[in-house]
Amino acid sequence: MDILYLLIPLSVVLVFFILAGLWWAIHRGQFDDIEREGERILEDP
Amino acid sequence: MLQVMFGATVVADESQVDRVQLPVRRTSPVPVDALIDPTVDAAAQLLDDPQEWATFSRASEAHPGWIESNLVIEGMTCSACAVTIEHALCAMPGVQRADVSAASHRATIVWSPDEVQPSGWIAAIRRAGYIPLPANDSSARAARKQESRTALWRWLVAGLCMMQVMMYAYPAYVALPGDLSAESERLLRWASWVLSLPVVLFSCGPFFRNALRDMAQRRISMDLPVAIALVITFAVSSAGTFDPQGPFGREVFFDSLTMFVFFLLTGRWLELRMRDRTAGALEAMVNRMPEVVQRRQADGSFEAVSARRLCVGDIVRVLAGEAMPADGVIVQGTTQVDQSLLTGESTPVTRGVGTPVVAGSFNLSAAVEVRVEQVGEQTRFAAIVALVHSAATAKPRLAQLADRIAKPFLIGVLLAAAGAAAFWWSYGPGHALMVAVAVLIVTCPCALSLATPTAMLAGAGTLARAGVLVRRLQALEALAAVDSVVFDKTGTLTHDVLRVEAVDVRAGLCQQQALAMAGALAQQSLHPVARALALAGSATDQGKRWSAQGVVEQAGEGLSGSLQDAHSGDVIDGLRLGSARFCAPVTGDAGGATTHLCDASGWLASFGLAQELRADAAQTVAHLRDDGLAVHMLSGDQRAAAAVIAGELGIASVQAECTPDAKLAFLRRLQADGHRVAMVGDGLNDAPVLAGANVSFAVGRATALAQSQADFVVLGEQLLRVPQTLRLARRTMRVVRQNLAWALAYNLACIPLAVVGWIPAWLAGLGMAASSLLVVLNAMRLSTDLERAEG
Repeated sequence: MDILYLLIPLSVVLVFFILAGLWWAIHRGQFDDIEREGERILEDP
Repeated sequence: MLQVMFGATVVADESQVDRVQLPVRRTSPVPVDALIDPTVDAAAQLLDDPQEWATFSRASEAHPGWIESNLVIEGMTCSACAVTIEHALCAMPGVQRADVSAASHRATIVWSPDEVQPSGWIAAIRRAGYIPLPANDSSARAARKQESRTALWRWLVAGLCMMQVMMYAYPAYVALPGDLSAESERLLRWASWVLSLPVVLFSCGPFFRNALRDMAQRRISMDLPVAIALVITFAVSSAGTFDPQGPFGREVFFDSLTMFVFFLLTGRWLELRMRDRTAGALEAMVNRMPEVVQRRQADGSFEAVSARRLCVGDIVRVLAGEAMPADGVIVQGTTQVDQSLLTGESTPVTRGVGTPVVAGSFNLSAAVEVRVEQVGEQTRFAAIVALVHSAATAKPRLAQLADRIAKPFLIGVLLAAAGAAAFWWSYGPGHALMVAVAVLIVTCPCALSLATPTAMLAGAGTLARAGVLVRRLQALEALAAVDSVVFDKTGTLTHDVLRVEAVDVRAGLCQQQALAMAGALAQQSLHPVARALALAGSATDQGKRWSAQGVVEQAGEGLSGSLQDAHSGDVIDGLRLGSARFCAPVTGDAGGATTHLCDASGWLASFGLAQELRADAAQTVAHLRDDGLAVHMLSGDQRAAAAVIAGELGIASVQAECTPDAKLAFLRRLQADGHRVAMVGDGLNDAPVLAGANVSFAVGRATALAQSQADFVVLGEQLLRVPQTLRLARRTMRVVRQNLAWALAYNLACIPLAVVGWIPAWLAGLGMAASSLLVVLNAMRLSTDLERAEG
């Protein structure tokens, strides 16, 4: 079970990476208008 | 207002206000003919002025040298519309990018001022069949966008950290003694502590800020116990992590802490989103084209300029049917103006050379030239707005139920903790401190602080689905306590247009023919009576048969002219349409809301006009009375007209001929007698009363100023939403009280157990989660359909 001593700190680091990704997504406006972007892929170019 | 003109006591008070609203006439809901209205073209031309487009545009950050403009699009119904508009815009040379949001009816256009002018792409949108308006609210929108992004970010941080902290906490819950080595456990706790830090330091920021602000102002709100609970829980858990042998024991509560924060932030985020949607819908109504005015140049010709550009001393030409752009003095011409906006008086007044006119009053009969005396902030219109603001600041405030409870609760908890610590002190300070902490954790006001917002959010969500926007959640609390409802008459209880109710004709003439003839003449006038007749006339099967020639309008009297029959080519000369005096032929009923038509040989027909009650007005008043509320009616209109409507609805308390000040005074009298008053209105002259009432509704096609002051905005035309909202508010407050009672009972039961040391900390955390869940589920009962919730 020694691997836990590596995995648990790693999971903490991973959470911070995910948070950084979320920060980037939110402040780039990815969540500002959820509906319209979902519909855009259905349209002809 | 034109009853003088037509000799009829026709009711038409506040309805005009809608049309003369400043700074320009209302643009929403969309007039049917706006797509072909030439004045829209003139206004679009004005937008080519960089000073004008600067109000809704800015330099694009992503594309240097390009301009990014924000628009509101009217007439959009679905996402297919968004596609159409985007394609129409992108086909324009000089437009680099266009994003249209179907949900918010907004468009962002990136364009180059070297290649295209705003009037160009505005025309492109109008050719596609939609009506663009410059979005003058972009700074408010940008601020709200930033705020909602930050709220979402706080919420996601709390959510993600909560999930991970729970993973770390899970082994400690399921492990049998000996399963978990001391090192592993310590590692898990350290990991939990690290991930709790961003939650406490970042996500909880608003709670700490509000708590500090409240302490500085010597107030106690729900945020203070929340902040204290957060600090204590985190401090105790940190001590348990790093100093398990210390006085605070070895228990940690990182999972309860993060979950608590996540729950609270979920509620706040939903509240913010709902408020955003309401605010977005309302702010959109302040968007409009710039008002075009005709200003006289040095050489005597007239140029079209934006009303914003007017200066004192300018001479402007105001055509019949336009609103006065500024306070001023007439220098040429004579006309009738409707000043009901400012005075509440529905009778138009005659104004000649040298007499003053006020901004926002409506020019009814002839073109005049006006010298501008006052602009902007100094006008009478601005004075009404100031009255609104002063009324709003004097609004009676209701201490919020949860905050009223928070104070004794907090004091009680602190006393209990101190008492327990003092009691156990003799057994050892460490144990005494631990007991005090247990008391504080057990009483963590999770359920208490969720009790009110969850119930109100559920109620507001139900209302929003039924087309009632709630501006502030606390208004639900104020509404539940209301005991009187005051209605405005025109536009609220009645529709704001006149309708032809009765037609009397000379023998040999049919009603349809009489209506068609009167309608053809009336088309030449802007008078409300004339407009009602024109509408009725064009609806007949002979609507296109007659064409009017040489129509002359005599202000205050009526119209005269001749009609040509399109079928036979015959011309009828000497026709008159107007007051009994003007036609001078009438026998019998000269009173009432009646307009007459006669020809050279005498009387042809009489038309009775009336205001139409809303279909659900009577039912609304009945419902309110069933619920034990006193119903009053206020009107700026004449006493007789108001009495007729009040009689039909069975409203005993009527105040007629009210100015905006008088309406506010009536409200203040009611409030001084100890009544809590809800005001329902729509017009500009209702705005001060709406602002001053304990709680207010804007209904129907309410003016933007009225909507900006109302706590509830009823979209659509259903007056019945008012009693329905009231019932839902009362139910909401019942649920809030149940929730608060439950939370308090839970806490009161747990404090003695914690004081004697019977509740281990993990059980306290579990109890906290269970009681919060119960509170949320109880609130969900309010998420029913508004119609079905009746009864």
